[in-house]
Amino acid sequence: MPMLKIPFTRKALAIPYAVFLLLFVAAPLVVLFYYAFTNGKGQFTFDNLTGFFSDPNTLGTLLYSFAVALAATAVCLLIAYPTAYFLSKLHLGNKTSVLLIFILPMWINFSLRITALKEILTMIEGNLADFQFINAVIGMTYDFLPFMILPIFNTISKLDGSLLEAARDLGATRSQAFFRVTLPLSMPGVISGVMMVFLPAMTNYVVLDMLYNSTYIMGSLIGSYFAAYNWHGGSMIALILLAIIGIFTLLGQNGSEQEDSRGGALL
Amino acid sequence: MIKLYMRRISLFTAAFLVVSLFSSFIFPVYASSSEPEHVKLRICNWEEYIDIGGWDEDELIELDDGEVIGENSMIEDFEEWYYETYGIIADVEYSTFGTNEDLYNMLTLGDVYDLVCPSEYMNMKLITEDRLVPLSEEFFDESNENNYYIRGISPYIRNILDGQEINGQAWSEYMAGYMWGITGIVYNPEMVSEEDASTWTILTNPEYRHKVTIKDNVRDAYFAAVGAIKRDLLLSEDFKNDPDYSVKLEAEMNDTTPETIQAAQDYLQRVRDNAYSFETDSGKADMVTGKVLANYQWSGDAVYSMDQAEEDDLILNFAVPEESTNIYFDGWVMLKSGIGTDKAKQHAAEAFINFVSRPDNVVRNMYFVGYTSVISGGDDPLIFEYADWCYGAEEDAEETVDYSLDYFFSEDKDGEEYIISAEPEQLDRQLAAQYPSIDMMERSSIMTYFNEEKNEVINNMWIKVRCYNIYNTPVWAWIAGIAAAVVLIYLFIHGRRTKKYYKYKNDQKLIQ
Repeated sequence: MPMLKIPFTRKALAIPYAVFLLLFVAAPLVVLFYYAFTNGKGQFTFDNLTGFFSDPNTLGTLLYSFAVALAATAVCLLIAYPTAYFLSKLHLGNKTSVLLIFILPMWINFSLRITALKEILTMIEGNLADFQFINAVIGMTYDFLPFMILPIFNTISKLDGSLLEAARDLGATRSQAFFRVTLPLSMPGVISGVMMVFLPAMTNYVVLDMLYNSTYIMGSLIGSYFAAYNWHGGSMIALILLAIIGIFTLLGQNGSEQEDSRGGALL
Repeated sequence: MIKLYMRRISLFTAAFLVVSLFSSFIFPVYASSSEPEHVKLRICNWEEYIDIGGWDEDELIELDDGEVIGENSMIEDFEEWYYETYGIIADVEYSTFGTNEDLYNMLTLGDVYDLVCPSEYMNMKLITEDRLVPLSEEFFDESNENNYYIRGISPYIRNILDGQEINGQAWSEYMAGYMWGITGIVYNPEMVSEEDASTWTILTNPEYRHKVTIKDNVRDAYFAAVGAIKRDLLLSEDFKNDPDYSVKLEAEMNDTTPETIQAAQDYLQRVRDNAYSFETDSGKADMVTGKVLANYQWSGDAVYSMDQAEEDDLILNFAVPEESTNIYFDGWVMLKSGIGTDKAKQHAAEAFINFVSRPDNVVRNMYFVGYTSVISGGDDPLIFEYADWCYGAEEDAEETVDYSLDYFFSEDKDGEEYIISAEPEQLDRQLAAQYPSIDMMERSSIMTYFNEEKNEVINNMWIKVRCYNIYNTPVWAWIAGIAAAVVLIYLFIHGRRTKKYYKYKNDQKLIQ
C-alpha cells in the first residue's frame, strides 16, 4: 500500500512562528542593540551605557520604578495569597466560576478601569496630587492583581491533600501545617505571580500618567528619550530593562533546574 | 473635538517604529508614477484638525454673505473641486499624526507624505534639514482667483510669516499657515482671581498648590518657565516702553543661555511639586469636574474647554499672562521626499492649501476644529461675519463693548471696520481666546526653533525635571528597600526547597 506522502515535515509547522520571531523579535533586537551602542554619528560607543549609570536622574528613575514595583508586588501578594488560599479551599462545585469574579475586571478595558479608579481615589483622597506614590502603587495593584491570584490559586488547588492530612496526623497544628507544608509548596505559584506583577509594574507608565504621577518610571523615561529624538539613549535604557528582566527570569528558572538535578541525585 | 495630543511617543509606538524601520529595508517604498489625469496626494495632518462633514441640518451657519454647512468631508470636496477646476483627478490619501515629534519620527523612518501640517518649530527643523520644497511663485500670485490663500491670509499673520527668518529664508517661502493661536491660562473665576491667573507664576503659586496643571511638553513648559523667571524684567516700565520692545521680548523669551536653562530647571522642579499634574489631554475634563482650578492651554483648546464647561453650567475664563504669550502656527509644508520635482503633485498640494483657505471652508474648519484660521478672507467678509456670529452680542443685550479686530482683518491700520459688539464677559472668554485683542498680541512672542545642540540641552533639562533624583532618597527608604530586596532573595532561595516535593511527586507517578 503506497504511503501517503506529506510534502512537508512537522518541522515545517514551526516556520510561521520562526518567521514571526525573526521579524518581530530578533530583528528589532538587533536594531535595539545597534542603537544602544552607537552615537548620533553611527560610531560604536559605550557612552549610553556609562551615561545611564552615572546620571543620578536615570538611576533615581530606576530606583523609583523598583520602589513602585516592589510595593505594588508586595500589596498584590498580601491581597492575592489569602484570596487564592480561601478560594481554593472553598467547598463549591465550581471554583472556576468564583475565580471568574476576580478575573472579570480584566475583561474591561484597562484605561477605563483606571479612569474609574481615578474618580474613586479623588473621592477618597480629595486631591490625587497629594498622594502620588501611593496612587501609583494602588493603580498598579488594581491593574495586575489577577495576575497574582491566578498562579497562586492554581498551585494551591493542585496541592496533594494527603500531605496536609499526613502533617495533621503527625501532630502538626493547623498553622504549622500551613507554614510548613502549604506555604512552601505554593512558592512556585508565588514566584510566577511575582514575576507577572513586578516586571510590568516597573514600566507601565500609562497607569501613572492617568493617575497624574509626575515622576517618570522606566517606561516613561524611554518614551521621553524617543520623543527627544535620542534613540540611542532610549534604546540603551530599553536594553538595560531587558537585562534586568532577563536576570529575574533566570533567577526564577535556575533554582528549579538545580533542584531537579539534585533531586535526581538523591534518588 | 480637538485633541492636539502632545503626548510623548509611547513605548509601543517606539517598538513599532523599530519594527517598521526594519521592514522598510525589505519593502522599499516606490514613488508612484503619476499620469497626467491622475495625481496622488499624500497628506498628513493633526488628528481631528479638518472638517469631516456630516453636519446636522440645524448646524447650518447662516451669515449675511452666505450659508455654510459641512455635508461631505473636506477631502472629498477638494477632490471634486480639483476635478471641476483643473480637470485632474486627485486621489488624496489622508492620514494623521499625534505630535510633532511623532510626525518627525515617522518621516525619519521612511514614511512618505507630500503635504504635512506640523507646528512652526517643526517646520523650521525641516527647513534647516533641507527636507522641504519651497512654495511656487504661482502660489503667491494674487491675481489668480483660485489662490485663496494669498488673497485671504490675514495681513497680521502674513507680516509675521514674511518677517521671521531661518537660515536667511523667510518662513513664508516654505510654510503656508493653517491655524494659529496663543498660550494662556484657563481658570475658574469663582476660585481664582484674574490677577493670579494672568501670570505664569500661577504655576508655583502656593495658594493653588495641586490645583493647577501644566502641559506635559518641553517647549510649552520652557516658555512658561522663562516667562516666570524673567517676570520682573518683562514687566518693568523700561522694558515695556523700549522702542524695540517686541524684538527684545522675542530675544528674552528665546533665551537659551546655560544660566537661563538652569533657572528654568529649578523653576520647573518647583512647578512639579506645586502642580496637580503634567497633562496631555485631561486638563479640560479636570477643569469641568473641578479637580483643578486653572490650567495652561493653547487658545484653540481653551475655546473648546470653555464651550464644554458652559454645557455643564460652569463658567471658565481665559487669561493671557502679562509677561508674554507664545504665538504658534500650524502650517502646511511640502516635503521633498514626497513631492520631489513632480510639478503635478506640487500643483495639487498647493491647490489643497488654497482650497482649505477658501472662506467658506475656513468657516467649516474653524467650526469643526475650534482653532483660529490664519485666513481673514481678504475682500470676502465671510470669516469676520462668522466671528461676529459666534461672539457678537444678541440684539437685546443690556451692555456691550466694542472689540476691535482690525489688526487681524484689515490692512488699513487706522480702519474701524472690524468691530465686534460683544458682551463684556466675552473679553475674558472664548472671544479673547479665539481672536486675542491687539493688547494681548503685543506681548506675544514667537518661540523659535532651537538648534540641535540647544534642543538636546533643553530636552535633557526636561527629563531631569521629571526624573526622581537618587540623591533625594531618604535613609529610611534605602533601609526599607534593602530589607525588601533581602526578603525577595530569601523567597527565591526558599522556593528551591519546594522543588524537592515536586520532584518526589513526579517520581511517585512514575513508580505507579
